[in-house]
Amino acid sequence: MKKVSEIMDRREFIRAGGLVGVGAAAAGAAILKDRGELASKDPTGEKTVRNLTAMKNLKTQPSEDDHIRMQRELAAAMSKPVEKRRWIMVIDLRKCVGCQACTIGCVAENKLPPGVVYRPVVQTEIGEFPNVRLNFLPRPCMHCENPSCVPVCPVKATWKRPDGVVVIDYDRCIGCRYCLNACPYGARTSDFGRYYTSNEAQGAPEGKERPIYGSPAPWEGLPSNEYGKSWNRKDHGSPVGNARKCHFCLHRLENGLLPMCVSTCIGRATYFGDSNDTESLVVEKVTRNNVQTLLPHWDNKPKCYYIV
Amino acid sequence: MNSQHSSSDAAQGASGLATQWTKALWLVWILFLLAGIVGVILRLTHGHNAAGYGSYVTWGLWIGVYFLGVGISGGSFILGSLGYLFEIDGFSRPSDLRLAIVLSLAGLLPAFLGVWLDLGRMDRLMNILIHSSFTSMMAFNAWMYNIFLIVAALCWLLSFKQKSSWLKPLLTLGMLFSILFPSQSGVFFEAVRTNEFWRSPLLSMLFFVSAITLGSASLLFVRAAIAPRTASRTDQSHLDSALRVLRAVTVIGLIIYVVFEFAEFSITFWNPGALSPNTDYLLFGGYWPVFWILHIGVGVIAPSILLAMKSRGGWVFASLLATIGFGAARLCVLVPGQVIGQIPGLAQAFQDPRLSYDYHITSMEYLVALMMIAVGMTIFYVGVKLSQLVESRL
Repeated sequence: MKKVSEIMDRREFIRAGGLVGVGAAAAGAAILKDRGELASKDPTGEKTVRNLTAMKNLKTQPSEDDHIRMQRELAAAMSKPVEKRRWIMVIDLRKCVGCQACTIGCVAENKLPPGVVYRPVVQTEIGEFPNVRLNFLPRPCMHCENPSCVPVCPVKATWKRPDGVVVIDYDRCIGCRYCLNACPYGARTSDFGRYYTSNEAQGAPEGKERPIYGSPAPWEGLPSNEYGKSWNRKDHGSPVGNARKCHFCLHRLENGLLPMCVSTCIGRATYFGDSNDTESLVVEKVTRNNVQTLLPHWDNKPKCYYIV
Repeated sequence: MNSQHSSSDAAQGASGLATQWTKALWLVWILFLLAGIVGVILRLTHGHNAAGYGSYVTWGLWIGVYFLGVGISGGSFILGSLGYLFEIDGFSRPSDLRLAIVLSLAGLLPAFLGVWLDLGRMDRLMNILIHSSFTSMMAFNAWMYNIFLIVAALCWLLSFKQKSSWLKPLLTLGMLFSILFPSQSGVFFEAVRTNEFWRSPLLSMLFFVSAITLGSASLLFVRAAIAPRTASRTDQSHLDSALRVLRAVTVIGLIIYVVFEFAEFSITFWNPGALSPNTDYLLFGGYWPVFWILHIGVGVIAPSILLAMKSRGGWVFASLLATIGFGAARLCVLVPGQVIGQIPGLAQAFQDPRLSYDYHITSMEYLVALMMIAVGMTIFYVGVKLSQLVESRL
């Protein structure tokens, strides 16, 4: 066996050092560059301002429904540039009755296929008979201040918008599911390309024309409007194969509508609004001392709060 | 005279052994390839629906086999290069280096196949290189693999030259990658900062040690089972030296791996509060057969005993068992880290087979894994034949 000094001559040693040095420097530079680029590249400024007229002629009533107030505040928030808004959600667990209307509303709004859910309601039983209680925990995406799902994405397909909403680019996502693993809340699910009605298909054509899993009902082929675009899952189109998650119904916000889960909450347990508006209902709710976040020890700083 | 006879007998014995193993390997290759073709067809026609993973347990067998391939690749390259650079007996010939490089490529390329088939959008594979985000270990690894492939291929080509002033520098660079990507495979998991089970700095060391051991076991397998077909006395001595080193490295590697693992888990003996549900699941829960029987029994104890014996057939068998054991060890990291949800009741909140914290490997997953092995064997065979062809023409 040779001594270390005999392994390479001077020229080889310099070349080896150069290659290793250049490689290490390039790797370090790439990491530093991308760490610095984590901020969103979404459009900001005046072009993101929305002049929503729906609530303009409706005067504030002293005892108006929370939904009306939130919708009014939503229109006011949309009249500001995107970087001036900060969407948050507050869920009053004392008022949640576990009806799952939010879950179903979300499934219908976003045309979610089997196995994809943005807002399940977790039900836990506490105590022993006869002193038993059911707790309900609606779990949307937490839209964390410090999201653990964003930096693991290998293709920059997910990021945090200036208004705090964590989004996914369905046209770029490769479906590696790294982000699903990184989310401690299980808020991301993968679209495996399934249909609710595919096994119920009747009279679907045989041969090449017949889809692999039978023919889903026509309503399952309707496009979803997530992120303000039309997504058609037919023929393995996006978002089939992608990671999917709650996006606070951005497409509805753009049109002055509250997220579907807020609109469908029969117990008025879910509140939504701009935390930069200090007069808003959500700020009123979130500044109480009985507000908690889920799994705070991970330091994700969720923007979905629970009143307990 | 006696020693000459015994050496010749050993060579003939080795040759016979090699022939037996070669026949067996051809049979295995055909079976794996046929089964693998069925698996790939199932994957392509049924999508991920025939797989056992879903949205909560997101990665399964293929990712385990992928990290196994990465380990074999990194380990065999490091050992082959170190042996060549330091002119260690049994590794000093360019043909030894080429064999290690070919094995390294045969470990890495099928790993890509597994990852590709695991993607939800196979058509966007290249996005990982085009739109890379280097905040993600996955993108970083993808680049490292690709650069390593180029470096390894160049080393293979330069190894045919009588004297190249670029071979050793490139081997050094290749070794840097070979150290980085297997250990960074551990960081791949550690980087998921919200997973208590994966958040251990020891994981990268475990992956690195396993890579060296896997590389050693794989080299031992190919050199003991395939290489000595035309062993002359000198060749036999050269091979014996290599096998001696590889046996030692494999056994030491297995011991170090288990010592690191003990360091990781022994804390729960003295601090029962540290026994996380994931560790409990791995050591005493649903995954105990994989850990205790496959990983420790089949993968560590059995090969250590066989490697201590003097039977070359036993060494070949030991290297196979060690590789299978490390496959199980990969799953012991991968699966328990995913099967415990952090929000109790989430899986019951919206019921679907893809929204479950249970993971059972399906037949389609096994079949595709066999395809990965068959592809690796094919690349190895083609690489070895190509090496011989070029050697014969020079």
